[in-house]
Amino acid sequence: MRIMKKYLVFIVAFAAVTVTGCKDFLVEEPPLSQSNELTLSTYEGLDQATAGAYAPLAAAAWYGGDFILLNEMKTSNGKKYIGSDFDTGRLIDWYNMNYTEENTSALWGYAYYVISATNNVIANLTPDKGDEQDLNNLKAECLFLRAFSHFDLVRTYAQPYCYTVDASHPGVPVVITVQASTDKPARATVAKVYEQIVADLLEAESIIDPSYVRAGVKDQRSAVTLEAIQALLSRVYLYMENWQGAADYATKVIDSKKFTMWTPEDLQDAACYRLDVQTEGEVIFEVYSNSGEAYGGGNEAICSLTSKNKYGDGGACADLMNLYEDGDVRATLFHSEESKSNNETVWWTAKYLGKGISSPDYSNTIILRLSEMYLNRAEAMIHGAEIDGASPVSDLQTIASNRNAAPVKASLSWSDGIYLERQKELAWEVHTWFDLGRTKTAMSRTDFVGNENARTCAWPSNLWAMPIPAREHTANGNLEHNPGY
Amino acid sequence: MKKIRLFFTAMLVLLTAGLASAQSVTVKGTVRDAETGEPIPFASVVLHGTMTGVSTDQNGDYSLTVPSVDEAVLEFSFIGYRTVQVPVEGRLLVDCELEVDAMALEDVIVVAYGSTKREAMTGSVTSVEGDKLAEAPVTSVDKALSGKLAGVLISSTTGQPGATSTIRIRGTSSINASNSPLWVVDGIPMLSGNIANSDVSDAQSSLMTSLNPNDIESITVLKDAAAAAVYGSRAANGVILVTTKSGKEGRAQFTARVKYGVQWFKSDTGYRPMTAEELLTYQRTAAINAGYDPDDPTGTYYRPMSLLNGELTDYLKFFTKLGQVQEYEISARGGTDRAKYFSSVSYHDNDGVVYGTDYQRIQARVNADYKLLKRLETGIRVNVAYTDQDNVPTDGLAMENPIFSGQSFMPWIPKYDENGDFNTDIPSNSNMNPRASAQWNENSLESYRLNGTMYVKWEPVKNLVLETRNSAEVVFSEQRLYYSEKAGYNNIVQNIKNKVVQLTTSNTANYANVFGGYHSFRALVGQEATKYVQTQDVYQADGVNPQIPYPNTADQANTTISTGITRDALLSVFGIVDYNYDSRYFVQATLRGDGSSLFGAENKWGLFWSASASWNINNENFLKNFKPLDLLKIRASYGVNGNNGIGAYQAYGVYATAMYNGVAGMLPSTPENQELSWEKNATWNVGVDFAFFNRLRGSIDVYSRTTKDMLLDKNVPQTSGFSTNFVNAGSMRNTGIEFQIDGDIILTKDFVWNVGFNIANNKTKILNLGGEDLIEAASYMHYVVGRSMYSYYLSDYYGVNPSNGEALWVTEDGKLTNQYSKARKYYAGSPEPKYVGGFSTTFSWRGLSLSAFFEFKGGNKILNMNEMKYLASDGAQMILNQSSAALNYWTAPGQTGVNPKPVAGNSSNSNDFTTDRWLQDGSYVRFKELTLAYSLPQKALDKMRIKGLRFYLSGQNLYTFSDVDAFDPEMGAAGTVTSIYPYTKSFVGGIELTF
Repeated sequence: MRIMKKYLVFIVAFAAVTVTGCKDFLVEEPPLSQSNELTLSTYEGLDQATAGAYAPLAAAAWYGGDFILLNEMKTSNGKKYIGSDFDTGRLIDWYNMNYTEENTSALWGYAYYVISATNNVIANLTPDKGDEQDLNNLKAECLFLRAFSHFDLVRTYAQPYCYTVDASHPGVPVVITVQASTDKPARATVAKVYEQIVADLLEAESIIDPSYVRAGVKDQRSAVTLEAIQALLSRVYLYMENWQGAADYATKVIDSKKFTMWTPEDLQDAACYRLDVQTEGEVIFEVYSNSGEAYGGGNEAICSLTSKNKYGDGGACADLMNLYEDGDVRATLFHSEESKSNNETVWWTAKYLGKGISSPDYSNTIILRLSEMYLNRAEAMIHGAEIDGASPVSDLQTIASNRNAAPVKASLSWSDGIYLERQKELAWEVHTWFDLGRTKTAMSRTDFVGNENARTCAWPSNLWAMPIPAREHTANGNLEHNPGY
Repeated sequence: MKKIRLFFTAMLVLLTAGLASAQSVTVKGTVRDAETGEPIPFASVVLHGTMTGVSTDQNGDYSLTVPSVDEAVLEFSFIGYRTVQVPVEGRLLVDCELEVDAMALEDVIVVAYGSTKREAMTGSVTSVEGDKLAEAPVTSVDKALSGKLAGVLISSTTGQPGATSTIRIRGTSSINASNSPLWVVDGIPMLSGNIANSDVSDAQSSLMTSLNPNDIESITVLKDAAAAAVYGSRAANGVILVTTKSGKEGRAQFTARVKYGVQWFKSDTGYRPMTAEELLTYQRTAAINAGYDPDDPTGTYYRPMSLLNGELTDYLKFFTKLGQVQEYEISARGGTDRAKYFSSVSYHDNDGVVYGTDYQRIQARVNADYKLLKRLETGIRVNVAYTDQDNVPTDGLAMENPIFSGQSFMPWIPKYDENGDFNTDIPSNSNMNPRASAQWNENSLESYRLNGTMYVKWEPVKNLVLETRNSAEVVFSEQRLYYSEKAGYNNIVQNIKNKVVQLTTSNTANYANVFGGYHSFRALVGQEATKYVQTQDVYQADGVNPQIPYPNTADQANTTISTGITRDALLSVFGIVDYNYDSRYFVQATLRGDGSSLFGAENKWGLFWSASASWNINNENFLKNFKPLDLLKIRASYGVNGNNGIGAYQAYGVYATAMYNGVAGMLPSTPENQELSWEKNATWNVGVDFAFFNRLRGSIDVYSRTTKDMLLDKNVPQTSGFSTNFVNAGSMRNTGIEFQIDGDIILTKDFVWNVGFNIANNKTKILNLGGEDLIEAASYMHYVVGRSMYSYYLSDYYGVNPSNGEALWVTEDGKLTNQYSKARKYYAGSPEPKYVGGFSTTFSWRGLSLSAFFEFKGGNKILNMNEMKYLASDGAQMILNQSSAALNYWTAPGQTGVNPKPVAGNSSNSNDFTTDRWLQDGSYVRFKELTLAYSLPQKALDKMRIKGLRFYLSGQNLYTFSDVDAFDPEMGAAGTVTSIYPYTKSFVGGIELTF
């Protein structure tokens, strides 16, 4: 009995020790990530969190691919060569404008991811974290990214600003605070969304150090700068038909003299679109992509879908190619390949040929560049904006003379001149579809092989706003549906 | 403490009191075999209700002193015979005849932390002996279990050698946490699943393959809470206990096994790619229907009849070949009264039916047990394995998947280029050719695995056993992928190194005794701790020198490396109490506390328990003498188990590194979730076990298991910055009934006909999804409150318009439309089967035996959508071959029940993948195995001086009765897998020699 007692004591003691003494035994913290507290409590952490907030821009659903493709394939810039060797079945729904709430742009999740990442930083930029200007620079970057994300969201999921007189139609939720998973924000009006975008950009402009460029980056033009903020403001004002604002901000960028027009030599073989890093030339802001980055690349990315070597579903339309007169260097921004199975020549834009790193390749996506500033200003001036020493014709001539194109006509209008110049210059850079929508212009195309319903798109039409993703509706009952889907 | 002491004291007093009142009378007799009449030596004769007993001598004679000849009852027993109780009734000579226990009712089966007689089980348990698993030419034991156990559903998403299987015991209990059972090998929870798990490759390499099926003595499956609860955590989905062979006393006995077989791919469903003639007709029709001239050389769809004059290839045939299986093994077993051993070494090679697939394994095991002192034992269980696996992509719509390409390559595409190499000028397939890929690319996976367990067992005082079991499981694997320019790549090298270490210590104290004659009691307390560490290193280099395909030759800018680390820990204390009265009434209770590192700081611990009881009615006096009834037992149990099967670190709100523009930034990666805790699984089970006529044995179980506080990766508004958030929310329920029976229909000396049958029904119902009505698993598959686990959510396809051959859909208001986007969507069914089961039968005549095994599954739907979207495309895909499912299409007005007319460049979406057009009944019956075996008779063996010689021939997967539009109806738990490495048929022969 005594022996037994001894053993029982031993067992109980052993069990007690293992349970109480091993409290640390059950603590396993993630070794490859950093706690929220740690990240958001120091300047270094906030700086990293700001750098990281850019990353999703390069996602395949956004500027890594689909956002470009879906907007180009529904205009006369894009063509799906159905039945060709380069038809893997992809993009057919974008080409045929066949959207449903299940089958819509995946931008939503990525854009709000960036927004929430920036809100985390902005909410924690308290003065104790470091030098005021350093903190302001981080804030300016975050404000730009937040505004830019809201802008892409509102132009994707809502009707254009001009759809109602006071832009009181539904936009997207404006998210400017840190959200809990139980928060279910409703859609703000388009006016409210643009108001917030403008407010963010104006604040960013006012606080950023004019010479600030994020330290350590490979490509300085993929970082937020004063000029990037101003260039985006120019575009946002253009979408809002605030003509003087659009012209003023375009002028600020042009007059900064930091950017120079590409020459025909730069454009030969799309050389300026294939650079890993932009140091001179037109680019004001672009989205960087390379191997080893958190997002972008792969078979579903823009390089694969506009490449003869990979999927190649995103072809170029003859309507676009026919716009270029003989000698216009922009006509060389296309490449082609024979499709053997159906005796057809398939064309693609060369703007995403890639950097020549690997297959599938990587390509930066240009967002804002100098030519757009001239085009924005020209359009604004046609609508009454006034800029000393500038005229619509001279601005367009600046572009034409650098493209070996014929001189610009003396009398210009939106439909006869500006629109065409915008399409010729900015095709495949996610402008054309929105340019049509914001100017109440119907879309039509001639070289078209898809579903006849999608050959044209009237204005107005439900198709100018894409459906809100079904999963988001399920998770957030406060979201209003877009009609027609 | 005090109470325990009091209890033991009381028991001791009772015991000594019983001994003191003895009045000695001696009873004698002989124990014989009831059938042959031969005496049985070493049989046990015990005075019922005491520990007093003797063994019979060489002649089967015994002599035993009993307290009273009037009241004494003698209990006669011997291994392999049924125990008999004989009242002495005043006699001094009591002979006894023992009957063979044909139904193995008294077999000892392995249960949680111990073993018990089958008749003493209170929980729901099924078991299978090792020798029933060893014949199939499978690389791992999980595959061999398929269809053999009621309520255990084993399905594969690929038939590739070395791949993993999905095992579900009594259905699916969780949406986002694990649904896999816990494997316990020789008392230690073992790693299972896929070692090749990485973001880089979809190759599968099952951890179970390190176990040689021939080394297995028995497998027990613990199905209900009572049986499994003592494994508390991780027991929610059942427990599979594997016991490997131990040594046996006696001279060394060697067994040599040789197995050789061939495998090939053939579908029994009638599904196939079109022939060249069929495809050309189809495409020409499609071109004409779209207004094109197929004979116009400049036209978009130029498909001249002359295509048939060139070389035509059956690509499925070209991409597959005859596979081979070979296996060689030698094992030794023996020992003395102090030391016993079992050891084996084996080589297994399976050359797959697809070019570029191969699986090799070299494995060795040593199991040794030593009796160090009278009351001190120790032993080891060591298994080492090396596996080498070559893979090609054999899943999904990958360009290089030979199973998909074999269906989609148009027959007139040339096989070879002008140099005689495999053609890689195939634009329709992005210039990929599976044969070229198999030849030039590399995808190999080598693994080294060690499982080592040692135990020490000490009986410091009688009936109290202290045991410690300590084990290390170490897996190291290295996967190398190389994508060559010759196969259309940019000379990319990827390398994935995985290191997994799991250390476990399990310490128990077990006390068992019989008190006062009829009160059997066992109590066990234990403690366990497990630490798991996985490290994964991945590198990738683009543009390496093909002569030296290693990262050294790549530009460093094009090289990426990354590391993954996962650690978790589990700490447990537990106890079991068993009590039975006179082998009639049994009760058991278990309690276990588990702490897991996976949960939030304040929620790491979970408490799990079970209570169960059974009543062996046949041992009651009123039935004791009713001869035909061997066993009639009623069982009932209730218990709560836990599930922590989620990824590590879900409770932490963290930022993870995100590279952008050459800067290592940080992005939010998981939301903070300190509330996260155990998922609970409450199960009740009622069962009946019966056996009659010493010929027939069976059981019926009814159960209901309810999952509460489900670990749900809940969809949240993306405006929060996250798509999902892990929470404890929601519940679901599985209810079901299981029936298992086997018996000898004919049982004579020379001829035996045995049949076995099992069938199970399980119904899963989602009760709550944390406030949501539904969660999308995919756009076409939802989790819906009130419905089964998966519900297909599909567009309502009506059929063709008989007047023009267009596809029609049903709209929300019941009208017909030719516009796909207007089609209504509805819940069209579930992949959950209504019943699954197996049927086996064996005829044996003397040394010859013929056995057959069938498995079946029914009432489930499958959705072969991905393949059909491309291969029954109604003309939308004009550069891919089409399947036989697309053949029967509309050609003339008035036709109904046919496919829509093909139109080249079809944009009607009639081939869209999320329509019920691709939904089919997934029921099947598979003739899984037919084996003819011959064992040499004893006389011949004696002449040859060997102990056994057995030959067998076995056919596997001989025929599958199903008519789905797919190669095989087996499509995984979700019913939607695509173009997988198919089920192969095989024919195997083998020899087993024991000497």
